[in-house]
Amino acid sequence: MTLLDFARGPGLQWSLIILIAGVLWRLGGTILLNARKDLSRPRHKGTLTDGLKVIATRSLPAHQFEKRIRFQHFSGYAWHIALFISVLFFAPHIFFFESLLGFGWPGLPNGIILATAAIAVAILIALLIRRASHPVQRLISNADDYISILLVIAPLVTGILAFAHVGARYPTLLAVHLLSVEAMFVWFPFGKLMHAALTFPSRFQAGASYGRKGVRA
Amino acid sequence: MVNIMSALEGIAVRVEAASGNITPLLHEIRHALRRVAQGGEGTTIDLGSLPLAPGEEKRIEDLLGQGEVRAELNALGPTVVQETRYPGVWYITHRNTEQEVVARFIEVTRMPELLLAQSEDMRRAVSELDSKLPGGNRDVGHDDH
Amino acid sequence: MRKDQSLGEYLFSQGVSRRGFLKFCSATASLMALPPSMVGRVAAALESARRPSVIWLSFQECTGCTESLTRSHAPTVESLIFDAISLDYHHTLQAAAGFAAEEAREAAMRENAGKYLLVVDGSIPIGNPAYSTIAGISNLDMLKESAANAAAIIAVGTCASFGGIPHANPNPTGAVSVSDIIKDKPIINVSGCPPIPVVITGVLAHFLTFGSIPDLDELGRPKAFFGQSIHDRCYRRPFYERGQFAKTFDDEGARLGWCLYELGCKGPTTYNACATLKWNEGTSFPIGSGHGCIGCSEPDFWDKGSFYRPISAGLWGSREALLGAAAAGAAIGIGSALAARSRKKKAVAEEAKSS
Ligand code: SF4
Repeated sequence: MTLLDFARGPGLQWSLIILIAGVLWRLGGTILLNARKDLSRPRHKGTLTDGLKVIATRSLPAHQFEKRIRFQHFSGYAWHIALFISVLFFAPHIFFFESLLGFGWPGLPNGIILATAAIAVAILIALLIRRASHPVQRLISNADDYISILLVIAPLVTGILAFAHVGARYPTLLAVHLLSVEAMFVWFPFGKLMHAALTFPSRFQAGASYGRKGVRA
Repeated sequence: MVNIMSALEGIAVRVEAASGNITPLLHEIRHALRRVAQGGEGTTIDLGSLPLAPGEEKRIEDLLGQGEVRAELNALGPTVVQETRYPGVWYITHRNTEQEVVARFIEVTRMPELLLAQSEDMRRAVSELDSKLPGGNRDVGHDDH
Repeated sequence: MRKDQSLGEYLFSQGVSRRGFLKFCSATASLMALPPSMVGRVAAALESARRPSVIWLSFQECTGCTESLTRSHAPTVESLIFDAISLDYHHTLQAAAGFAAEEAREAAMRENAGKYLLVVDGSIPIGNPAYSTIAGISNLDMLKESAANAAAIIAVGTCASFGGIPHANPNPTGAVSVSDIIKDKPIINVSGCPPIPVVITGVLAHFLTFGSIPDLDELGRPKAFFGQSIHDRCYRRPFYERGQFAKTFDDEGARLGWCLYELGCKGPTTYNACATLKWNEGTSFPIGSGHGCIGCSEPDFWDKGSFYRPISAGLWGSREALLGAAAAGAAIGIGSALAARSRKKKAVAEEAKSS
């Protein structure tokens, strides 16, 4: 079995199993855990809209800090969007999703994908350097942060290399790309990458409980 | 020569099921031709080494057109050396005795090497003539080259 | 051609002119995928080349490789190359049979010890020696015996190079490749199912011309032919870059000649010269005829999932395992949450009791 066969076969199979089981485990556990009955009388009705409102307000920079965190905030958006474009609209990726989900969607030309992937990598590296050099950010970062960032950069970089056929033969590059994605899948449920699944539910939860208590947020 | 260069550039390449290799090929020919025109070395391009879409070989032939010179030689099957519309650019098709194409080249040179009489063949010709001439050939013995 | 004659002497004795010889050299250089600027060197080398003895062994194979070779589209050049070698044993092509044939092989091995070229097509069954024998000799023994004094070995076809179809899962005969058995000789793998005929002749021509083996890639294949992937040289590549893919074999995209990636083309992971040399007198190749590459020149191409599954689609058996994982994950999550809740309840109750 070649490296590519492993990456396309058992490697992919097991990493996906771990990803799916892990995410559902943590999501199920987290959602059901905090089910203590709140006996107080709600200050405010319509916790649903409160929750949704906080999802929206927390998606913009808090205005008190706006000036200081603008770069951080919008560069974060930029690389996420670039990442999603290159993950979701590169034709071979779509064929992958199609084989998984049973349906596909139209893709974008390779040139655009290459550009978005390069943008994502550039911003991620800039943010990584900032995290490592900024005193406050460094203080609040742990190994999980660095591992998570590197595991997102790796598939992007290996993907660009495979695309450009740089460094090794294409089958090897493709295998390394797949393996880097698989490493990310395996880490996903257990590290900070899990924010992708938890951010919106937790914002909603916070919003709903603030609303109930009458906190303006 | 200047006219020819601009004529080469003026060729509109239609792109449909195209490999994208015709335009670079024309550029290569143009560079090579300029080099030869300035007294430099010639270039040979093996058409068999280019990835071409169906029909593109024909398109290259059409784009280059036919010029003044056409030579046909018979050596291990027929070979056609056709000067293209652009003097100095030759289209060479080698066929075997079964008339199948064995190789295609574009040569950019004043005169394709293959058209020149070859020393070895000439030497053999001399000795052949020797044997045909009665007696009076001793002064041009075949070892005086 | 006498054995002590050089190829140049032989051709001239046959009345081939210098022009004819140069034409032959141009075609041969093109055949070997050498740049035209090398024709001079090829001519110089071929002129003085000596006629090597070739022994061709056929093991577990379908004769497709030999069929491919004998339909090589350059009969004149090819037959000249075959004139220029001494094919002393090939059990499909030779006239001799039985003892005479085996004697010819033994004589060639004796007389040319250390100098002959061994060509092998087909894989070698090591599960049971009786699965494939020639003249009562097992393939394994014949290979070892013939390889012992060979100058080099050319493994023709994917079976001889990598085990090929006989080696496909579950490999009932225990088929292996030449390089799995012979470790101490230079081996050139000319893979393909079958290999492109001019690649076989090209490799022979290289050995004839330079008396050495060409530059090989990490799978032992000549780089001149296997240095680039089908995808690298595919004329449909611009469609791939633009994201234009045929979805079925008869849709509009297929008619317009769009890329066949989605229909399972293995061009990106397959190294061979089909896109430039093409097949059937240079007429076309699978992608030119509207079918994706099946990757026949790569090891285990038969075991890499469907020919019609895109490369980027995973090779997992089914989606059920993933659904199972989802169910299991959800169950563990819910279970652990419930367990935590009941622990909490108990703790609250105990606290209430003690206070
Ligand atoms: S048809 Fe196959 S080899 Fe050609 S560009 Fe598409 S994927 Fe690549």
